[in-house]
Amino acid sequence: MQIFINNKPYEANASEKILDVARRNGIEIPTLCHSEALPGLASCRLCMVEVKENGRTGQVAACTHPVAEGIEVNTESELIAHHRKTLLQLYYLMAPQSKRIKAMLSYYHVPAFDRLPADKDNKCILCGLCTKACSELGTNAISTLNRGTDKKVGTAFDEPAITCIGCGACASICPTEAIEMSEQDGKRTIWEKTFQLLRCSDCGEYFTTPEALAHVRQKLGERAGKIEELQLCEHCKTKKTATKLKDGLKLEEVFDSLAK
Amino acid sequence: MQNKKAVFVCCGTGCLANGSGEIYNAFQKQIKKLGLDVEVIPKIKKTGCHGLCQKGPLVHITPQEITYIHVKATDVAEIVERSIIKDEVIDRLLYFDKQQKAKIQSKEDWTFEKKQYRIALRNCGKIANDSIDDYLEKDGYKALEKVLKTMTGQEVIAEIKESGLRGRGGGGFPTGIKWSLAAKAIGDTKYVICNGDEGDPGAFMDRSILEGDPHTVLEGMAICAYAIGAKRAFLYIRDEYGLAVKNMRQAIATAKERGFLGENILGTDFTFDAEVVRGGGAFVCGEETSLLHSIEGSTGEPSPKPPYPADKGLWGQPTIINNVETWANVPVIINKGADWFASIGSEKSKGTKVFALVGKINNTGLVEVPMGITLREIIFEIGGGIPQKRKFKAVQTGGPSGGCIPEDKLDLSVDFDSLIAEGSMMGSGGMIVIDDRTCMVEFARYYLQFLSEESCGKCVPCREGIKSMLAILDDICEGKGKPGDIELLAEIGAMVQANSLCGLGKTAPNPVLSNIKNFRDEFEAHINEKRCPAGVCKNLTKFYIDAQTCIGCGACLKSCPVEAISGEKKKAHILDEAKCITCGNCRDFCRVDAICVR
Repeated sequence: MQIFINNKPYEANASEKILDVARRNGIEIPTLCHSEALPGLASCRLCMVEVKENGRTGQVAACTHPVAEGIEVNTESELIAHHRKTLLQLYYLMAPQSKRIKAMLSYYHVPAFDRLPADKDNKCILCGLCTKACSELGTNAISTLNRGTDKKVGTAFDEPAITCIGCGACASICPTEAIEMSEQDGKRTIWEKTFQLLRCSDCGEYFTTPEALAHVRQKLGERAGKIEELQLCEHCKTKKTATKLKDGLKLEEVFDSLAK
Repeated sequence: MQNKKAVFVCCGTGCLANGSGEIYNAFQKQIKKLGLDVEVIPKIKKTGCHGLCQKGPLVHITPQEITYIHVKATDVAEIVERSIIKDEVIDRLLYFDKQQKAKIQSKEDWTFEKKQYRIALRNCGKIANDSIDDYLEKDGYKALEKVLKTMTGQEVIAEIKESGLRGRGGGGFPTGIKWSLAAKAIGDTKYVICNGDEGDPGAFMDRSILEGDPHTVLEGMAICAYAIGAKRAFLYIRDEYGLAVKNMRQAIATAKERGFLGENILGTDFTFDAEVVRGGGAFVCGEETSLLHSIEGSTGEPSPKPPYPADKGLWGQPTIINNVETWANVPVIINKGADWFASIGSEKSKGTKVFALVGKINNTGLVEVPMGITLREIIFEIGGGIPQKRKFKAVQTGGPSGGCIPEDKLDLSVDFDSLIAEGSMMGSGGMIVIDDRTCMVEFARYYLQFLSEESCGKCVPCREGIKSMLAILDDICEGKGKPGDIELLAEIGAMVQANSLCGLGKTAPNPVLSNIKNFRDEFEAHINEKRCPAGVCKNLTKFYIDAQTCIGCGACLKSCPVEAISGEKKKAHILDEAKCITCGNCRDFCRVDAICVR
């Protein structure tokens, strides 16, 4: 089907969202809570665009709004730009320490805002990506707590979570570097819990926790034994796959060997 | 049947709180004790809400048609002796109608009732809330029988579409169109849900229907289930509504016993079952996607629409969610026909709407009126105007997210579209009347405070926008408002309306924005002159006694907790501003309005 973004026609597939089509064509729409791996949160509301659909114009979140034949999308209308500026000012109040937020403020020329006090030490914008990652990739060790303006992300009773496997998915997906994860002397500390790190069987660098590896093995079941890449760090994993391809194995076969 | 005497004791939550349970027991005891002749043994009924909650406990006696207000258990013996046995009317217990300037024998003749038209509330107060037989006597389950035996699902949907019924929960989406979407949607199982998570402060129409006439809700849901091909229903009822939950559970049990629920209903192959789910205690769970997540056992937070519940709802299956009041309209539409329903109301809003009339109003209670009636008729005729002859200032419609409508808009016809055009909304039908002693800045601040606690906190505009707006309003009320605050509130408010994820956030700024639009001078007085014209915000209020008006009665002097008022009898009193803590007691006690705000 065809849709229009900023008056230009673009091809779109029925299952896509507006954001997918825009990103594919290099049209800029800012987001914070969007991850291609874990889509659908729609909580940061930065990706709002104007859409004319069935004769009516409204503002929708580009990350979750499905495309439809002939819809007209405007990503830079005066209204959108104005609301985006106001929203970014609220982001500044919430997380003035976040580099990502600072960069966005400067990129969109958001004027300084001093009418209300900013939350000086905070970086978290409560987008929910970390808890979604923990629920889908990890073990539900963290979740959002409380409601409304008291809402926060944390472990149960703010104590080190028994179920946390130290995989670090939450920290790596966080758009505003709000989750602290430190590594020192072969140990990783996250959510006030410390884990011993495993070494890569190839290069010897520390790369993950035994708990996280066990979690992956459990999820893979019988297949786990056949995948030698499990013991490798990200860097060596890439190298290994590249070597396999170089040795004449086709990409599909590499995937097949991982999937079996 | 017609000669049989009956006593109707209101046992809705409002009257129960005022002791109607005791009254009900006293009637039973007294009648048993007197061993009255079988022909005159009254049938005592525990009924749902009669409407005029402020005058409760209410007792109505038929066939004489006598209504008593503020009844006490100690009145029961006299009522039985004089009104039931001798057919006399006890003057002292009658309602004094201020508009008619007379005591009125039957509630049917109260001015409060005259402009009302009851469809959703038709049985409330008229049938026993625990009796399926009473419901059957009032054409109960006839609509279901008609549908099952003579209509196809498509015909049912067409009938509802033609009637023009729109969702009574606030959105006003056409019910028939919603049903047709779910009927067309593909899914293994389809669900029907009753939204009984009534969370608006001051609204109690859903509670009253669930308590007083639970079968009508079940019947409406069964009709929809038949039309869309669903087999299972959930009634999501606010956890605080204990009596509603109890009465609904009992209604489900008796409906099953009588074959109106369960397998092969009324001898057809239609199977339908319903169960009650107690709400999780969050305002946001009245939002349909949050409600669905709550039933599924997840956190009550909304998810983006589309997909709409009619397409992918409970556990991903096509689901119809309608409000209690919407369901209560359905059986009547089927029985009386779409044309009849469409003949009531205004052009685009058909039928009636129940409003919970509260705040600074003489007749607090539930009123059901045809759509298109004016606010003036509701407030000044049915509601009896403002108490203590104070001046009307505004009316807030639609609950905490509704806007305030000022006096010059009182002749606005009340329907879905006209209220939205005025920056307010129908909501579930809360109607809070405000007099001249309410500060519109403080009023907006109060509702933002409520919403800041009730926002689920999932999306940033709602959570942070409300927080920022509340901080600014707190400042303004404390005298720390700054030039530019009004514009900033309007700017943040517009963004929150446009960018929020669900209906809660999209409407949360309404009280602030509508008050800025209609009462901007009050905001300006707070910010620029550091003065609260209504005399509510303590930091910005200074009282004085107008020497010309004061009659020296001493009422203010006695009411002052800090002895800030002095003066001799029959001479103008003086208020010492240095001692005054601006509690406002004196102003409430003064009968001649001599206490003024600087």
